[in-house]
Amino acid sequence: MKGLVLDNLRRDQLTDAISKGRRLDGRGMSEYRKLEIRPGIIPKAEGSARVKLGDTEVMAGVKIEHGKPFPDTPDQGVLIINAEVLPLASEYAEPGPPDEDAIELARVVDRGIRESKMVDVNKLVIVPGKEVYLMYVDISVISTGGNLFDASSYAVVAALINTKFKILKQEENGSVTPTGETSELPIVDLPVSITAVKIKKGIILDPDVEEESINDGRLTVAYDQEGNLCAIQKGQASGLKVEEIMEMVKMGKEKVPEIREMIRGALEKNG
Amino acid sequence: MMNLIDEGGKRLDGRSFDQLRPFSMQAGLLKSASGSAYIEQGGNKILVGVYGPRDSRSRYGTNQDKAVLRCRYHMLPFSTEERKSPQPSRREIEISKVIRDALEPALLLEEFPRSVIDIYIEVLQSDGGSRGASITAASIALADAGIPMKDLVSAVAVGKVNGHLVLDLSDTEDKEGEVDLPIAVMLNSGLITLMQMDGKLSEDEFRQAIDLAMGGAKELREAQRKALVQKYFKEVDS
Amino acid sequence: MEDDKAGRYVLPGDFLGSGEYKSWANAIKIGDKFYATRVGVLEMGEDRIRVIPMSGPYIPKLGDVVIGKVIEVMPVAWTLDINSFFNAFLPAQHAFRSFDPERDELSNKFKLGDLILASIAKVERGRDSMLSLDGEGLGKIEEGEVFRISQVKVPRLIGKKGSMVQKIEELTGAQIFVGQNGIIVAKGPPESITKVKRAIEIVETMAHMSGLTDKMEDLLR
Repeated sequence: MKGLVLDNLRRDQLTDAISKGRRLDGRGMSEYRKLEIRPGIIPKAEGSARVKLGDTEVMAGVKIEHGKPFPDTPDQGVLIINAEVLPLASEYAEPGPPDEDAIELARVVDRGIRESKMVDVNKLVIVPGKEVYLMYVDISVISTGGNLFDASSYAVVAALINTKFKILKQEENGSVTPTGETSELPIVDLPVSITAVKIKKGIILDPDVEEESINDGRLTVAYDQEGNLCAIQKGQASGLKVEEIMEMVKMGKEKVPEIREMIRGALEKNG
Repeated sequence: MMNLIDEGGKRLDGRSFDQLRPFSMQAGLLKSASGSAYIEQGGNKILVGVYGPRDSRSRYGTNQDKAVLRCRYHMLPFSTEERKSPQPSRREIEISKVIRDALEPALLLEEFPRSVIDIYIEVLQSDGGSRGASITAASIALADAGIPMKDLVSAVAVGKVNGHLVLDLSDTEDKEGEVDLPIAVMLNSGLITLMQMDGKLSEDEFRQAIDLAMGGAKELREAQRKALVQKYFKEVDS
Repeated sequence: MEDDKAGRYVLPGDFLGSGEYKSWANAIKIGDKFYATRVGVLEMGEDRIRVIPMSGPYIPKLGDVVIGKVIEVMPVAWTLDINSFFNAFLPAQHAFRSFDPERDELSNKFKLGDLILASIAKVERGRDSMLSLDGEGLGKIEEGEVFRISQVKVPRLIGKKGSMVQKIEELTGAQIFVGQNGIIVAKGPPESITKVKRAIEIVETMAHMSGLTDKMEDLLR
């Protein structure tokens, strides 16, 4: 996918500001852009959320189905996360099957959710070894304004917490039918993804599309409620020093409580 | 047959026969697109982005004399009751084509030779009549992109449920009713640019159904105009 | 003639008037009736009728001065993004005194991402246009802050014989390059740049307002 060629005047201004500990849009080095989370915007989906992070806009929807568990986890529900960058999301996006960037996006978000054990999949079993709930989570990127990883992760987290699904049971004849009751998902953690990039010698969180286009290394870390690191993805074809990585992790960890509160707040207000 | 009309002559959602579902339209909300629009009509929530005219040489399909119009109608996986696979279905491919054919007659594509105009339609949530709502919204997005056009295209479905002709079918009316007849029209010239039908109508009923659709299209056209006025001339009025 | 309709805001498909107009723009004639084809403002003269569009792509015209961004460096020319639906070529001989492809390396002159003030030297329907640097002040823009404005509002930003842009330069103390393609670069101290940004926003949102040049001073305060 071809992308933005930033003009050199702007690039120089950006790198100059960052070397002085400032950002051109006035944000602090650790400051996120305005984050808006609107859960439940697609009533037909069991769970949904639309997230705006600056100019980045992402939707996530959850559909709950039932089917056979994976053979190696017969007593667990199944979580499947897909991502698509919609062709209207930017002038560089094209219609077609997900490209490597979209697949990376889905897998990075997936690992943060899965490894934090956010959803207790042991409780999503209808008949052990035979019938379990399948959680399909689809990420649709509406506008690529930088930092898709975090925006997508927040959308998925919010959509999962927003989810209400029909409880199913197996009849004696083997068919699976609704009991008539609904339930929320068994949510036991609230992971927060934080993305940092290095530009020259400066490190910033939540890069916008211009900052992203000139970054010298990217690190996305998911943190669970205990403050543990539960998933990491280093991005961009460049090297990061150990000290730089530790600095990114530290900045991220300090940011997590604020973002977690914003996600909780948005869900309570709308929920 | 399912009972879709009550004794008082009202439909399941309380509408009269010639009444549209609640709708709202907005122009120009995507920052990076040349033009965009959003429509809600009944349970439909549809976002349209137009990119172009842009160079067609790095993309397939070039016409020396005019712009090539491309259209993709796509439903998000969570837009339906049952999850929809992200791969384009045969239904989506056909709808993409008929929407393109419904919009192209309105456009003056010869102003942009060797270029391409892409219309991306994303159904965030689907309900009955999503192709009509898509056309109505795409027309706003094309005007927002500054693509010259003879007229806006407005579209709505009419149908027959329990023997009555009704305007703007809901999902249930579409599935349980006898006839679905989506129509798109350029109202200035009266030219119909999309017409499809499933089901049986007599010649008289067919004629009446078209008139019913025209009435609905007029109302939708007013809303299309309002959405554009709201974006371009809002500060003029206030 | 229906002059009372002039100055009115119109949308595609709107009836503009009927009569014996000799020329028309952004309008179509059906029978003896005229309809708008774009969102814009209606202008009617004795024998002409036209809609000044409020949206749409930049279409290069011979002699336009534009600001382009180098997006590709080729062996004998640069490709520039000129914010239009086709790119534009700047042949190397415009930048080197006597260009020799064996000796001269194009990226020594203009690199990927550089902004170039250039004029449109050749336009062919449906093809990339050619750029030239022949003209006063044309060439690479070495410093400044980049802004964008909808290209249809550029004439308003420039004003009659450059009156608006001169006024803004006067009021802000910045030096301003305006490309006909909607790209603007402003040079000056930070407080000037902040004012320029505001001035561009004013033109973008109030382009329809009459006497805007005179009002700019008050609006910038």
